[in-house]
Amino acid sequence: MRRKSSLVVTVVLAGLIASAPAALAQTDCTKVVPPSPWGPNDQTGATNRVTPAVTKAAAAEIRDGKVVVMSYPLTDGIPLFGTRFSKTILTATTLAPGGALGENQLTYMEDTWLSQSHVGTHLDGLGHIGRKDCYFNQIAMGKFITQNNMTKLGLEHLKSFATRGVLIDMVKVYQAAGKFKGNATCKKPCLEKGTVISKADLEAGLKMYNVTLREGDIVIVHTGWGNLFEQYPAQNATYNSGEPGIGKEAANWLVSQKIVAVGSDTWAVEVIPGEDPKEAFIVHNILITDAGIHIIENVRTDLMAAEADQSKRATFFFSMTVPKAVGLTGNFVAIEGIR
Amino acid sequence: MSSVVRPPALPVGRRRFCLWIGLAPCLVMSWLAAVSALGADAQERRYTVAFANLTEEPGATLEGTGFTGKEVRESFGLAVRRYPIDLVFYDNHRDPKKALANAEDAIARKVDLYIQYCDDPATNARVGERLRAAKIGVLAINTPVPDAPLYTIDNRAAGRIGGEALSEYGAKNWRGQPTIGVVLGNLRAQEHRVPDRVLGASEGLKRHLPALRITPLETQGNPAQVGPLLAKLLASHPATKILIAAMDDTSALAAKSALDTAGRLNDGAIVGQGVDRSVHGGINDRKEIDPSNRGSIVLGSVAFYLDRYGYEVLPIAIRMLRGETVVTRTVTPHRLISATNVFIEYPPYDMN
Repeated sequence: MRRKSSLVVTVVLAGLIASAPAALAQTDCTKVVPPSPWGPNDQTGATNRVTPAVTKAAAAEIRDGKVVVMSYPLTDGIPLFGTRFSKTILTATTLAPGGALGENQLTYMEDTWLSQSHVGTHLDGLGHIGRKDCYFNQIAMGKFITQNNMTKLGLEHLKSFATRGVLIDMVKVYQAAGKFKGNATCKKPCLEKGTVISKADLEAGLKMYNVTLREGDIVIVHTGWGNLFEQYPAQNATYNSGEPGIGKEAANWLVSQKIVAVGSDTWAVEVIPGEDPKEAFIVHNILITDAGIHIIENVRTDLMAAEADQSKRATFFFSMTVPKAVGLTGNFVAIEGIR
Repeated sequence: MSSVVRPPALPVGRRRFCLWIGLAPCLVMSWLAAVSALGADAQERRYTVAFANLTEEPGATLEGTGFTGKEVRESFGLAVRRYPIDLVFYDNHRDPKKALANAEDAIARKVDLYIQYCDDPATNARVGERLRAAKIGVLAINTPVPDAPLYTIDNRAAGRIGGEALSEYGAKNWRGQPTIGVVLGNLRAQEHRVPDRVLGASEGLKRHLPALRITPLETQGNPAQVGPLLAKLLASHPATKILIAAMDDTSALAAKSALDTAGRLNDGAIVGQGVDRSVHGGINDRKEIDPSNRGSIVLGSVAFYLDRYGYEVLPIAIRMLRGETVVTRTVTPHRLISATNVFIEYPPYDMN
């Protein structure tokens, strides 16, 4: 009887030991995501390309000091993706009668900001998008997340974005090629949702302004779709229903150009609906997960597009700072293009 | 053995020189041919393809599923982005005269290929004749056009997949308990080939439960009938488990509601057919088949992918246009969509 019990225990233990590797198994990320070109410990990604020389060269774009706003207001009523939210609560207690402080009657106000980070004009960090549990530089992210944040790939690891911005005006490209199909809801010309921006389209846009991409550039794609954002809240549903954007071929080409980030006046930068209905946000994988290249969404591009059209110059100094928010996957940003 | 006359041998240096001189035109010709071929690949001519849809009447659903003609058309509009094809859309309106008029218009436009989606075999035969006479290739959807390749759903296979999923569930979870099978929906809808689906579902239900008794519940296409029909059946089988093979997603959801009303959710398992948006949802819709709803008694639904027809059919069309061989019959890859794979098959735009 005792021997039988021992046998049962042995069999159960053997079974448990045999099944343990399966239960604890994590994806072998070396087979899922390529390594970072900046080494096995890299958590910075493409901002490694913003060297002092790159920033100095970009400074040459500042010729008359004109600042062009490239971000949208962050306020109630703007289009938010899926179930995202952004709310503020104002603390203004000292404005109540008798609430002022001291003989100098000091009053103050502060805000409580309850917001998801990927709202409004915002940067997608390297911890935003993965393939299975594998993120940029083959990091098995399951081991590096807590209830509050990530312990790897947070925004605090990013370097500067002080580099050259290059605007590519897709509306002009499509109009010039005679293939422009607009959306009547846009008050200014915009590409229709689902329009796949190809490598050839990007090249045509660069050629239009005689620009050659350089390592360390940030590419901003003007589609006109952002006009629907500007019409918030009236056109939020249309804005979120899809968008024109870069396809896989264009994304791979941008990776080969060794840029730092791609932004656009859309909520995902990539074409929605995507080229393959069974793929989810595949361009995000190509740029962020595989190449460490950032995506900047909801960029206001119309003003810079108008500037470029008027001056026949599509390059500018890209000014954007990202908070050293430890362990965050992204954050809303303010962008200025300086000329 | 034939004799070969050889010219006198030349000195080595001169021989090499002559070899290059002789080869040069060949090399240039080969290079030009290669460049030309590359150019042809890089700038393949654009084709004009007509797609004549079954019907785009608002609210009209196709093939006994919840999909509409609009969804089929939109899938072509999206899928064509991959190809050097300009699409011309027609609506056959389920009307033979209109279908013939559409074909005549396409002939006048000199389209390169005609994709015919019409469920009337006689009309398809006449359309096929007219297009053949005009030397325009034809590709048929779901109902054959004589001598044309066919892309089609397989109702029997789809039914079998649904039935087998239920049978497996019953055998695994309710072994030894009294269990009956139900096939539910517009069972006699021959125009949608639902009887084939019923046959497949019945075969599938018996796969793991060979002795299962199967009760047909005919709704005649009215989902409002599901409640009363099931209520009666449930009342007459108070301590019985019920495996419900619904012939469409609307009936599947109605069946769940009926079981809920009768307080019998624990006694039922349901599989639908189609996987239209009513079960997997769009942005912010209620989603029955969802990873966060794994406990649902709606185990899943069998995919018909009418909303992806463009992605399925245009690859065949482009092969025909390029003169490549295509198989005579291509079948929809039906599969069970459940909480475990719905996000892979239908990734939601809103990530929710």
